[in-house]
Amino acid sequence: MNKSIIILLVVFSFSISAASAQEGTKLSGTVNVEVNGLSCPFCAYGLEKNLKSIPNIEKISIDVEEAFVTLIIKEGQFVFEKDIKKKVKDAGFTAGDIKEITNE
Amino acid sequence: MKIKPKLFTLSCFLLLSFGMFAQGPPIFTETPIMLGVEGRGVRTFGNIVQKENASAYIQPIAIPYNITNKWQVGAVVPFVSISPKGISTNSGIGDVNLFVKRQLYQIDGKAKTLRGLLKITETLPTGKTSETPPLGGDAWQTNISLVNGYVTTKFGVYSEIGYTVKGNNLRDNFIYNFAFGLPLLPQKYPPKQLNMYLEFNGMYDFDGIGNTLFISPGLQFIAGRKFLLESGIQLPLDQAAPKEQQTDYILRIGTRILIF
Repeated sequence: MNKSIIILLVVFSFSISAASAQEGTKLSGTVNVEVNGLSCPFCAYGLEKNLKSIPNIEKISIDVEEAFVTLIIKEGQFVFEKDIKKKVKDAGFTAGDIKEITNE
Repeated sequence: MKIKPKLFTLSCFLLLSFGMFAQGPPIFTETPIMLGVEGRGVRTFGNIVQKENASAYIQPIAIPYNITNKWQVGAVVPFVSISPKGISTNSGIGDVNLFVKRQLYQIDGKAKTLRGLLKITETLPTGKTSETPPLGGDAWQTNISLVNGYVTTKFGVYSEIGYTVKGNNLRDNFIYNFAFGLPLLPQKYPPKQLNMYLEFNGMYDFDGIGNTLFISPGLQFIAGRKFLLESGIQLPLDQAAPKEQQTDYILRIGTRILIF
């Protein structure tokens, strides 16, 4: 009986860690995203539009000269780093470092 | 008066290049920067073409759509009005273009990008040719172009070379364009941007006309996230065409609107 419980616990913990690895890094608060290839204001609209489609993002500001985007994530919520990377790629750019500036 | 209406119509179209979208892209030269997934827009401009033997007004409407971040398809539908000297004006829809673009490479850095794409354009002989002057070239045409660009927040350099294969026993041509762009205001978002361009747009026609090269200065005002206005003029530097077929100038006034 005890052996069965241990096996179940091991399987359960493996499945949890596999699921969280699949989801990736969670980000909250204010997040800075380096966007490589961003060299013009007119093409930044596609980037803004794509990032806005990520749930839980409250505000986006784009600094073209410094080539990064600041995302403010809704209080108590989070976004996955991999979702940000995908949206940057979809917009035609390459995501660099993604960092939490403030965390709640 | 010596006039070759079909040649006139063809040369009018070939002198137009349909750089679609991006940064403030150049006004007469194609750009290698595309719109991103599901990006779409509308570009239209009026071209006033003044030649020795005729004048023309051409208003194409271009609609690109990005299937993925590397593939774009689109169509260009032109309204054409041609007024040869001594012949009444003829107006209507000209030859429709369908195009596909594929990003070949993309090397991104901080506030800069180096990109290249392949563009294939098919020109359909939809312009009426039963009247004089004709509104189309009366021939299927396939153009394959290689577009490259290095764009930073400080400047942009663009090039485009292409070869056009024509049906209906018309000879092919070779297109070569080069553009240099300079932002005149600080780059910020949402944009309020003024860009200055100096472009060279050339075409070598293998049907005996020979080489045509224009210098094309232009200004572009980006008025917000989704809207820009632009204007440029093409002035001939080299024209091997017979005197009566030569172009005095081409004036372009246009707009581009992003409709995601």
